[in-house]
Amino acid sequence: LAGPPSPPGQDPQGWRVPVDCVRANELCAGEPSCSSRYRTLRQCLAGRDRNTMLANKECQAALEVLQESPLYDCRCKRGMKKELQCLQIYWSIHLGLTEGEEFYEASPYEPVTSRLSDIFRLASIFSGMDPAANSKSNHCLDAAKACNLNDNCKRLRSGYISTCSKEVSATEHCSRRKCHKALRQFFDRVPSEYTYRLLFCSCKDQACAERRRQTIVPSCSYEDKEKPNCLDLRGTCRTDHLCRSRLADFHTNCQASFQSLTSCPGDNYQACLGSYAGLIAGFDMTPNYIDASTTSITISPWCSCKGSGNMEEECEKFLRDFTENPCLRNAIQAFGNGTDVNLSP
Amino acid sequence: AAFSLYFPRKEYLENVYVDQPAGTPLLRIHALRDSHGEVTHFHLCQNLVISRARSHENHWFQIREKTGLLYLSKSLDREDFNMLSVGNWMPLSKVMLYVFLSSHPFQEKECDSATRTTVLLSLINATAPACSSLTARQLCFTEMDLSFHIKENKPPGTFHQLQLPSVHHLCQNLSISYQLLAVEGLPFRYNENTTSVSVTQRLDREERERYELIAKCTVREGFREMQVEVPFLVNVLDEDDSPPFLPNGTDTADAVVEFNRKEGTVLATLTVYDADTTPIYPLESSRRKYTGTIITDDPWISETFRVEHIFNEIHFSPNGSQVRGTQHEYKLVLNKSISVTEHRSFPLDVLVNDTEFHGPKRSVMLHFNVSILPVSIQFPNMTYQFTVNRNAERFAQIGKICIENCMKFRGVNITYKLLPPNISCYAVNILQGREDKYGSLYVNDSSVLHRPDCKEIQYTIQATDKQSRKHTKTFLTVVLEGTPFKKQEDCPDSCAVSKHRAECEECGGLGVLTGRCQWRQGSGKGITTNYSTCTPSIKTCPDGICDVIESKDMAVCPQDCTSGNIIGGHGKGTGNLGIKSGHGICYCFPRENCYCEKDDIKEQLCDDVCKTVI
Repeated sequence: LAGPPSPPGQDPQGWRVPVDCVRANELCAGEPSCSSRYRTLRQCLAGRDRNTMLANKECQAALEVLQESPLYDCRCKRGMKKELQCLQIYWSIHLGLTEGEEFYEASPYEPVTSRLSDIFRLASIFSGMDPAANSKSNHCLDAAKACNLNDNCKRLRSGYISTCSKEVSATEHCSRRKCHKALRQFFDRVPSEYTYRLLFCSCKDQACAERRRQTIVPSCSYEDKEKPNCLDLRGTCRTDHLCRSRLADFHTNCQASFQSLTSCPGDNYQACLGSYAGLIAGFDMTPNYIDASTTSITISPWCSCKGSGNMEEECEKFLRDFTENPCLRNAIQAFGNGTDVNLSP
Repeated sequence: AAFSLYFPRKEYLENVYVDQPAGTPLLRIHALRDSHGEVTHFHLCQNLVISRARSHENHWFQIREKTGLLYLSKSLDREDFNMLSVGNWMPLSKVMLYVFLSSHPFQEKECDSATRTTVLLSLINATAPACSSLTARQLCFTEMDLSFHIKENKPPGTFHQLQLPSVHHLCQNLSISYQLLAVEGLPFRYNENTTSVSVTQRLDREERERYELIAKCTVREGFREMQVEVPFLVNVLDEDDSPPFLPNGTDTADAVVEFNRKEGTVLATLTVYDADTTPIYPLESSRRKYTGTIITDDPWISETFRVEHIFNEIHFSPNGSQVRGTQHEYKLVLNKSISVTEHRSFPLDVLVNDTEFHGPKRSVMLHFNVSILPVSIQFPNMTYQFTVNRNAERFAQIGKICIENCMKFRGVNITYKLLPPNISCYAVNILQGREDKYGSLYVNDSSVLHRPDCKEIQYTIQATDKQSRKHTKTFLTVVLEGTPFKKQEDCPDSCAVSKHRAECEECGGLGVLTGRCQWRQGSGKGITTNYSTCTPSIKTCPDGICDVIESKDMAVCPQDCTSGNIIGGHGKGTGNLGIKSGHGICYCFPRENCYCEKDDIKEQLCDDVCKTVI
């Protein structure tokens, strides 16, 4: 996937390959008509909603011209250099195009083309262990051992654990903001061979499941004094470009679908697990296992649908994408079992 | 009432295939009315949103203004498909249409009415499938849940048609019939001829807010018969149609201000219930809808008190089924700290107003009986007497000085001061305790303790309230006892340095009371709060709190106060200060590192056997 950004073209599967937004912004800046329209559009969007914006002739014209520019279809890569800048450019255009009140938003990230099986291959090279072997072993403990044997993984893991367990004062038992930042570094900079094993290890007993639940130091990164309303939490998340992008990515890659065997879009477990891990760093939207149950896996962000008023249905729909999502559940189980869907190319 | 037609669902979904002929019906949209006699007009915004980003002018889809039937007015050929998929790099493209609703015929290009629903059309890059290749699930229902919302207190009407117009059009030789199960006794009716579902009476959310039915579909193809069942859910939307009421009729509470006089103190709480729901977001707008106002002309009262409003969802069970309601709590809070001299009593009324409820009794009055009692600044009826050992060292904690009820005070700042003693023996001093509640008496100059002329020292203590300048005095006698003994040579000045019991108890150090450090023998295993350590006084160190005296000099109690490194198994204390728990014995070099380790080296006597082996 790496390589110099190229202008939009066709990839072998016939989809258009989008250029990244930082590059698209540079291309646009080099073209006087594009850059002036982009400026106009940004002014149009500042402090106005979509409908008022579309009513304005000048804004509409700017939008039409930009439809032909590379900015229009640009995307970002997870963990890329200048990721935040890229997302800022993406949303500066897309906030005007979408409603902002949509239930699901399209992901600003490029589609994930790697598969789980790639990880299993790498994981066995790294550890020399067959994940299916030794049914009695504690996979979560093995994952921690494997991480400790890798300098980078060990450094960033102990980094986030010490940050997240450092007591600040009698009233504030840790710095949530710093903890989230350290977790984000861990999931962005450590290869998924390590991070997924810690996060999605399969368990047969409670001690193992508790270790799995504790992976992200939930007392700091997850739990809070009060449970906010999920829609309120979503609103807060959407005010932040990074959180909004990671949530949109989760919805794009983990949204349960009837059309596939695995319930996952494009039968791509890797993409769903990747967006899930991406959301952990996602500020207050961080999801986690709600308990140390070994039989049923229930994931949820720290929120509830209490106090939803007339939006209860929508709130529960939002929450169900975490708590009762067959795609997410299948993907986690498939990773734990070391199985992936076999796809004919 | 204002115009208020509405859609019973937020989104509709259907598939569109290449080359489906013009005139193909796609789906049917329904609207519900606010009042009888309203006529509904549907209108389609002439703008397609492609994959939630790009937009394009709509040439293909139209809606029947009266019936809400969305149909293809022009066939989508492959060229159209390619054009609509440009820039769309996901494998499945969706176009989005907005359908608007009005009670009067639409003017040209109205695209901004608030009442709208979204239609999602999945563009499938293939010709329409043969009916025989479709599963019963696909023939009967779309992928979208059958879930609807109906506003309470509105006239009945039709809100859904089970038959899929596109399938009905495509597969005319199949027999597809529907049934609505579990509908008996519920306010819904299914019409077999039109397959439409209607609500037959006004609904009341406060009676029941959720109906769960089952839609059953039977497909007959020759002799084959297939059946599919899916849930059919109706949620009743709430409007503000209930007045506030008081649980058990309680509208009065006592609010007493005595020792706790600090700004922000909650004096009393009264509760108001409402059968309506209140969304907790946006929080501020919900607060504005349900106000609580102090009724007073007295500027002092409005400056000194405020009302805080919080609300929670609670459940009522009016007739077996649970419905959500709201519990509002109104807290009377001190808006500023009150002086210890203030003394008055008065009733304080708070008017609670449900601003969106339009019936009678939209407000209730809450009554708080406020009594502000003065508190006296005085010492208990006694003089203080403390005995101090002549071997005590600097920073030894002798005792606490406290005016009456001092530990109960909040928002009252008391300063303790020692006035000069009867003889010139300045041995002790006083420091403010935490939150200015008490004073801690400690040895300030240990050399004075050795002077034979200093034996019984009398002080006057003065306690002053910072705000009112009120003060009180009492006497303090410090009696010096014991005989000074010579200090052990080469002892460190901090007890915490000693690693073993013997060296600990032989030496003194800063803060000791009797000239000797004390050994705390830990009993716990592993990393425990009860670790072994050497301390000037087990009572105060380590107790997990770095108090004012300990923080004067790091050598007094580094176990509570260190901010340096701790080497070995340990847990840090609050705010990263001190050793909260440790493994084995913890000892410290003040202003340097602390160490926690198990003392495993047992001193073995080397006997003759041992010597010969060597």
